[in-house]
Amino acid sequence: MSTTRALDGIDETLAPQGRRERNLIYEWLSTVDHKKIGILYIVYSLIFLLIAGFEAMLMRIQLAVPDNHFVSPQTFNELFTMHGTTMVFFVGMPILFGFGNYLVPLMIGARDMAFPRLNAFSFWISAFAGLLLYFSYFGGSGLYAAGSAPSVGWFAYAPLTAKVFSPGHSTDYWTLAIFLSGIGSIGAAVNFVTTIVCMRCKGMRFGRMPLLVWLYLVTACLVFVAVSPLTAAQIMLTLDRYLGAHFFDTQAGGSAVLWMHFFWIFGHPEVYILVLPAFGFASEIIPVFSRKAIFGYPAMVGATVAIGFISLGVWAHHMFTVGLGPSANTFFVFATMVISVPTGIKIFNWLATIWGGKLIFKTPMLFSIAFLFQFLIGGLTGIMLSVAPFDWQLGNSYFVVAHFHYILVGAILSMIFAAFYYWYPKMTGRMLSETIGKWHFWLFIIGFHLTFDFMHIPGLLGMPRRIYTYEANRGWGTLNMIVSIGAAIQAISILIFAYNLVHSYFKGKAAGHDPWDAWTLEWSTPSPPPDYNFAVEPAVNSRRPLWDLKHPDDPDSDYE
Amino acid sequence: MTEHGGTEPGTHSASHDGVLMPVPTPWPMAFALGVALIIAGMVTSWVISLLGLVVALRAAVGWFREVLPQENHAAVPVRAETITISTTRGGPAQLAALARHRKLLPIETFSVTAGIKGGLAGGTAMIVPAAIFGWVRYHSIWYAVNLLAAGGFVSWAGQSNAFLAQFHLLGLLAAAGIHTVASLLIGMLYGAMLPMFPRKPILTAGFIAPFIWTSVLYSALGVISPILNARIDWLWFVISQIAFGLVCGFVVNLQVKVRTPQFQALPFAVRAGLQGGAPNPGNENKKQ
Repeated sequence: MSTTRALDGIDETLAPQGRRERNLIYEWLSTVDHKKIGILYIVYSLIFLLIAGFEAMLMRIQLAVPDNHFVSPQTFNELFTMHGTTMVFFVGMPILFGFGNYLVPLMIGARDMAFPRLNAFSFWISAFAGLLLYFSYFGGSGLYAAGSAPSVGWFAYAPLTAKVFSPGHSTDYWTLAIFLSGIGSIGAAVNFVTTIVCMRCKGMRFGRMPLLVWLYLVTACLVFVAVSPLTAAQIMLTLDRYLGAHFFDTQAGGSAVLWMHFFWIFGHPEVYILVLPAFGFASEIIPVFSRKAIFGYPAMVGATVAIGFISLGVWAHHMFTVGLGPSANTFFVFATMVISVPTGIKIFNWLATIWGGKLIFKTPMLFSIAFLFQFLIGGLTGIMLSVAPFDWQLGNSYFVVAHFHYILVGAILSMIFAAFYYWYPKMTGRMLSETIGKWHFWLFIIGFHLTFDFMHIPGLLGMPRRIYTYEANRGWGTLNMIVSIGAAIQAISILIFAYNLVHSYFKGKAAGHDPWDAWTLEWSTPSPPPDYNFAVEPAVNSRRPLWDLKHPDDPDSDYE
Repeated sequence: MTEHGGTEPGTHSASHDGVLMPVPTPWPMAFALGVALIIAGMVTSWVISLLGLVVALRAAVGWFREVLPQENHAAVPVRAETITISTTRGGPAQLAALARHRKLLPIETFSVTAGIKGGLAGGTAMIVPAAIFGWVRYHSIWYAVNLLAAGGFVSWAGQSNAFLAQFHLLGLLAAAGIHTVASLLIGMLYGAMLPMFPRKPILTAGFIAPFIWTSVLYSALGVISPILNARIDWLWFVISQIAFGLVCGFVVNLQVKVRTPQFQALPFAVRAGLQGGAPNPGNENKKQ
């Protein structure tokens, strides 16, 4: 083992020793430290992940066998609404904001986010939004004693959301919670953009930023553009429901299609808001575990920006069945197909990074490889659905549900798990158990493929999404049973993961500051990093500053 | 410990006592709670909204006092001890033994404008065989133009050959747009690919690439443009593709190559032309 001394330290600090006497609760409630806020986002998202996972399990029990009445139809509607809303707004976005909060300042050599107090506010408003949504289970009856939790689906199409069809306050809980969450998302996006643009350390030009930082920059820009229409739509819907406005009231000159446009102008970029950070994780993890620099950095950046732009022009592929007309259909078919070009560039570059590398199959790499396969398959079924006539046949079927879960779970959640295994040592100073991690990985992969591979088939056979139950003679029973068994296996794997998080925090192996022999700045700090991140503000000369420090005779800066 | 440093938002400076960092404050959390309660009152009771308003106002005042007139910063003490940044792998010793362990990408390539020029020239050249085909087969140079444009006009799917042989301004504009875009894209592809196959440019650009492109289109044209697929003459199509490839490849190869960032990795003597040639990328060992 070589221990080449390369620098008198980008950082010259040790992790704080011993435990200070302090009020832990107050410390976490009042923190403005980006690392603690990042951890708050992550823990809060994990709690909601367990809740939404529990809702998914209830749905799968309901659908496992024909003619089942395990839950009532109303409860089933509430379950799929709360599951979808929770996973998108209170798991997916916050957990990615959490990792971004933690990692972006460290990766660009900054000591905090640009607006630390706004950062805290953004987290707390998002957290209270989640609590408000779930308070609907207790307070949703409202004035009319009707309804409980929201039951209008996660995209809440009009006119179902009109007061006459959704009496009581259940839909209002959904609208107002999303509105609050949107405030938090926009606040976080402001912080990311300002931090990345203004607070990079000396030498870190845009062309030297880690790809994860690039991806968070584009994600934050997408949040600006995408969340604003959603927030506007929520205000309009609230005006409809509270003050008798008619934006979406089809019987008074309003337009249900207007809501669809507003929602999907948010909804499709939202997919990229969720997947771009996952791309960032892959772009950091795959090179380290392939022991090669990322292949085609400029192309990866270009593809990221291209995806950001193109994703803003594809929303109506969710609306092919509305009847948009040939011109609009043609435009959105081609726009949707075009987005496969930059995503294809990314996949090829990840493969080229792996190609010829000295691969290390630790748990983060296993999840990253699974991500590559699953994202590819999810992308291919996405191209199938981008063809309007194909979508007319399978729109709102379980084929669509399988497709987007391939992206959300197979790609995004897989990379979130990879990110946990990769950066948990930095956050806690402890390694996650590899043995438990491999159990987690293999059970998750088996469960995932049992669930979502087989879910395509009932969709092809005509099983509509959101169906409460089905008759035995449809021929969907065996397939749905397999899907439900797969979901149960996934649930077990996630419980194992949760156990690993807790167990390793107390009994995990000490991580040291750089357990993966990695190359980005966060690995030059102690684990966990001190409040100020870097005692001496770093300066970088290449995209892999730690490579340069570890190999002063062969620095990247000579080649970039 | 707390002091009011006159720092800009988002800046943190080191002092003799430590690093100045923002002081923790509960007011952002309280403000978020207040706003959430105001909103929650809309689905519960106006009393909740009123409570939220009070909390939000108090929190706003507290927050303002944190940042005005100056941000409230505290010096966090630094515990300094050197951390050695080192690799756990045996890389450096091996690397030193390998003079050329880095995989070098081409040190020269064509610029994007070379591809654009080639695409425009090739696109112009392939008009000639296409026009000859229309004239010979349908006695009209407009047939090929309208056939290309028909992919964008659903209503033209059932039109007769006589209709397609007539001049249509809309068809000319649509075909010009499709042809220009496709020519530019293919031209840039040539610009990117030709440096990878430097030995036989005429064979590569003039024949292999057109045949590959034709093969791809042969299988995909039914989806892209069914009307074009139904009426296309593949022999003439291949001829026009070869015309494109030869002219495009010729024009691209005429352009001056630009140096890539990899050129900077070469020793000064090589860059200055004083010593040896550039290493052959194909023989380089891969980077660790």
